[in-house]
Amino acid sequence: MSTMECNEFMEQLGPWMEGERHGSARAHVQSCPECRSFVTDLEAIQAAAPTLSIADPEPPARVWAVLRNQLVDEGVIREQSGIDWQRDRPRFAGLFTRVPRPALAGAYLTLLVLLGFGLTAPVMQQTQPAPTFALAAELDHAEQTTVSSFDSSKSPVSADLHENLEIVDHYIALCEKSVREEPGNDVAREYLYQAYQQKADLLSMITERGDSNQ
Amino acid sequence: MKIEPMRAFSSRRKESSHSAGLRICRTRSKGRKAAALVIPGLLLCSAALADHVEKHFKVDAHPVITLHNPNGTVTVKAWSKSEVMVVATPASDQVEVDAAQTGNRVDIMTHPVSGSISPDGLKADFDIRVPEDAELQIHDDSGAVNVNSVMGDMNVETVGAGVDLADAAGYLTVKTIDGSFQCERCAGRIEVSSISGNFRLTDLRSYQVRAQTSKGNILFSGEFLPNGMYELKNYTGVIEVRFSPGDSFDLSATSLKGKVNNEAKLSPPTHQQHFYSKFNNSLFGSFNSGRAKVELSSFDGTINILKRN
Repeated sequence: MSTMECNEFMEQLGPWMEGERHGSARAHVQSCPECRSFVTDLEAIQAAAPTLSIADPEPPARVWAVLRNQLVDEGVIREQSGIDWQRDRPRFAGLFTRVPRPALAGAYLTLLVLLGFGLTAPVMQQTQPAPTFALAAELDHAEQTTVSSFDSSKSPVSADLHENLEIVDHYIALCEKSVREEPGNDVAREYLYQAYQQKADLLSMITERGDSNQ
Repeated sequence: MKIEPMRAFSSRRKESSHSAGLRICRTRSKGRKAAALVIPGLLLCSAALADHVEKHFKVDAHPVITLHNPNGTVTVKAWSKSEVMVVATPASDQVEVDAAQTGNRVDIMTHPVSGSISPDGLKADFDIRVPEDAELQIHDDSGAVNVNSVMGDMNVETVGAGVDLADAAGYLTVKTIDGSFQCERCAGRIEVSSISGNFRLTDLRSYQVRAQTSKGNILFSGEFLPNGMYELKNYTGVIEVRFSPGDSFDLSATSLKGKVNNEAKLSPPTHQQHFYSKFNNSLFGSFNSGRAKVELSSFDGTINILKRN
């Protein structure tokens, strides 16, 4: 039944997350494991986001600042909207049900990093557990499903972005190795999370540019 | 070549009544276009490509100038007039430049005439004059951005374009992907980030500098102002800081996998307790009375703290 391609489905991701699930999109999700997994991730984040302020540890203020700036850049909110981001975090989660792509994709990527900080960074200060790299896997997945959908542009700028994505991936691999070998090394962890942040930023840029080129 | 007035485009775009607007482009009537096709010789075309247009906007104190240009060289210089001058040189007929004033804000944007233009072709060069206190917001993916003697706040974002600032002040935020950044005789506050761009910060008088690049070198040669904060960070490459005997700073230098080379005679830190880690190559200490704070950090790069000649 479905003739919808992944990129067509990504075009409808915003409405999908708002509950508009038409037959062809539904069929695509059922038949495409990658998109199904992507949507499942998004829904999990959407469901978890409202409880972040209650159940999860406090993420660093800079993460909120990054998220706020990104949403301002993408026109989802206005700088002078009077929103107190610390106070209004639970309400903030609801934004994701209304925002259009690429804002959704960008916010999703940033939220991955947010969850990475929120779930992992505070823990490491207390117990220094063996590291897990679920965040890296999520980012890789986002890279595969999102970037490949917008990979049509062959401009030098696009090539630059992809080249630098490889550089960041390289640093992520180095940092992950370092954290695995020295789980108690906070500086290595800090570098790792910054590399994740860079990757999320780059994926957002690539997504936006791919979108504008179509 | 004659530049046609704004009304030539009025059917394609409606300007808001409260904004003074101009669409800058190299324009031709259909008849002239046809003539150009039949007139042999490339000289005329070459001359046409060299065309540029100029527009002036009267502004008040602290004007805001925004520029969105995908590709090209952008040069901004301050002058003493209460006026913004925009000289644009589109690279082809397929490119248009809009410049419009709304209140004390001038917005400049390059865009394609049709949707079929290649990304490489969407290019225009700019020569812009602004009042000294102007605030700048510049997006230029490829090419180069040069800003001279502008004292207002500045935000510059590029992908591959290098950014070269001189005699700037205010709050400067620069973000590139692999474009280099150079700042000479800058003051105020500087925040710069990149993935693979090199940074060169010379003769600075900034009280706060935060510079981070992943695969790039960072050179800092400037004054460490009392109570100033200087954070330089990379993953790989060389971080080089040059100090003079009269400087006063508290130093923290850490390279996880690389080396820290130091020529400063440090005493135990005066203001802050640091913890040496068994994992890293670290150096902590105060130079003179430690009035500024200097934090240098690298993953596997080399950190050099050297005497300034």
